[in-house]
Amino acid sequence: MDFLITVLEQGLIYGIMALGVYITYKILDFPDLSVDGTFPFGAAVTATLLKFGVNPYLTLLISFAAGLVAGICTGLIHVKFKVRDLLSGIIVMTGLYTINMYIAGTNNVPLFSVNTIFRNDMLTGIFGDKIPQWVDIVVILVIVIICKLLLDLYLKTQSGYLLRAVGDNDMIVTSLAKDKGNVKILGLAIANGLVALSGSVFAQQSRVFDISMGTGALVIGLASVIIGFSFFKKLSFVKTTTAVIVGSIFYKACVALALKVAGAEATKLITAVLFLVILVVSLDRKKKVKINA
Amino acid sequence: MKKKVMAVVLGMSMMAATLAGCGKGGDSGVASGKEKEMYTIGISQFAEHGSLDNCREGFIQGLKEEGLEEGKNLTIKLNNADADMSTANQIASNLAADKVDLICAIATPSAQTAFNAAMEKNIPVIYTAVTNPVEAELATEDGKPVGEVTGTSDELPVEAQLKMIREILPDAKTIGILYTTSEANSVYSIEKYEELADKYGFKIEKAGITNTSEIQLAAADLLGKVDCLTNLTDNTVVSALPTVLGMADEKGIPVFGSEIEQVRIGCLAAEGIEYVQLGIETGKMAAKVLKGEAKASDMKYELVTESSLYVNDKVAENLGITVPDTMKERAVESFDQIVEKK
Repeated sequence: MDFLITVLEQGLIYGIMALGVYITYKILDFPDLSVDGTFPFGAAVTATLLKFGVNPYLTLLISFAAGLVAGICTGLIHVKFKVRDLLSGIIVMTGLYTINMYIAGTNNVPLFSVNTIFRNDMLTGIFGDKIPQWVDIVVILVIVIICKLLLDLYLKTQSGYLLRAVGDNDMIVTSLAKDKGNVKILGLAIANGLVALSGSVFAQQSRVFDISMGTGALVIGLASVIIGFSFFKKLSFVKTTTAVIVGSIFYKACVALALKVAGAEATKLITAVLFLVILVVSLDRKKKVKINA
Repeated sequence: MKKKVMAVVLGMSMMAATLAGCGKGGDSGVASGKEKEMYTIGISQFAEHGSLDNCREGFIQGLKEEGLEEGKNLTIKLNNADADMSTANQIASNLAADKVDLICAIATPSAQTAFNAAMEKNIPVIYTAVTNPVEAELATEDGKPVGEVTGTSDELPVEAQLKMIREILPDAKTIGILYTTSEANSVYSIEKYEELADKYGFKIEKAGITNTSEIQLAAADLLGKVDCLTNLTDNTVVSALPTVLGMADEKGIPVFGSEIEQVRIGCLAAEGIEYVQLGIETGKMAAKVLKGEAKASDMKYELVTESSLYVNDKVAENLGITVPDTMKERAVESFDQIVEKK
């Protein structure tokens, strides 16, 4: 059971990032590589703020804002300087490496002795010195649900519709006399805000900031989005945002399972095979549905 | 409407899973400490890498020397994070969820994630190959553990190394060091080098990289301005060491290592610590904790104070450098050939 909770925790934390990747990759059709930089960016900002004794819950908002700024940079580089999408992400990701190092002051900041969103005076006040284990997942769940609901709400606003239109057919946006560039920048900002927020939660949960924690973040995000989508494609009543979060949980379940069965040897290979199985299984079901229909 | 219902159902099932979990978590928090028939330990190793592997082998050997043998009365769950932070975190959580009797963490990020995952489950963590446990917040300034976590540090014998370089190269002025900016151990060692270099009349030229692909560029630049190179136990640089050695060889610049494996594959010499020995010491600490003879929180972390000298005579011959006889006699191990790979 503990094993499942661990998977849920990790999956949900990365689910926030997957929501961000979903915006860029699925909605905007923009392969945003800045994610590898903004994930540790959120963590670095959080680590430094926590060291200064800032309220942990406030750090969530601040890292989100920091991510927004990074996303705006990617957007500006792409839209205003007309740099290719991939490259503008690479530029921001590369630059953020140094900035992260600068913000955190070093490459590894342990957070054992500071308050976090999971361990702080308020929670100690409620539960006493020994904060129960389930508090962790409830805190994560609350954050994830808030993110998901706000994103769902946002996508229904006029601005949200424009965002979706830019990815599908940007002519529509232009014909509505709106600037598609600005819409893209906004989308990238929100996406990277979510990614940075995810980094913040991850740092607080693992109680360490490490400069290398962003490596491969985008791959995790993309895999989560794709797994989520292919698994829930035919179940139209499942919201895409929910699908993405569940995809992230599946991803982490695969990794955890591979680690469990493989020991040290073939973890990556087994993870890869598990992904393939998930994708093929969902493919099969799609076919059957078609045949039935 | 349907969507909302589904969302609610999903949310509820997640909550149910959560609550079911805490029900179980409550009654199983019994600490294991008494003499037992069978122990299960988890090893969380951060990366696949010569000295870390040696640590791990030493650790298992150390446990064996204390009567804890795999297959007999010990089950070992071995995991490797492939140098990935998020995997290291996952491994730690998995091991904690499995309620192993003890977690052995190899290298700093693994030690931190293991401690984080294990601390509330009362699972002791024994680490090794953590260069600076104080900076990693695993121990306080006076060496005492911050919780049920202790182990061994692999702080480099920087002073001994500088002394040795001075003995072999009396005229050298600058030492070049390649390191990865993301590795806490390396950054700490660099500080040590810079602090002590003056004392032996050296100047340190460092080149920080972020990944393997930058090594050639950084090495080429560095080799143009130094008299010799010295290595840290930097994971990234060590794994690309053959490249660096090849480039240095062309220019006739000697490269000093930081442990035996590096000398074996072509570094001139090294004052290093024995990682297998380090592992054995760690294994013995773990055995004490497992048998209930001592608590991890009561044991200070240990340092290997003595360094051993390794020399590669073949490399010296190729470079036309004469290693003083006194050093040759002092060397714990000398190699008369260059081995491609262990």
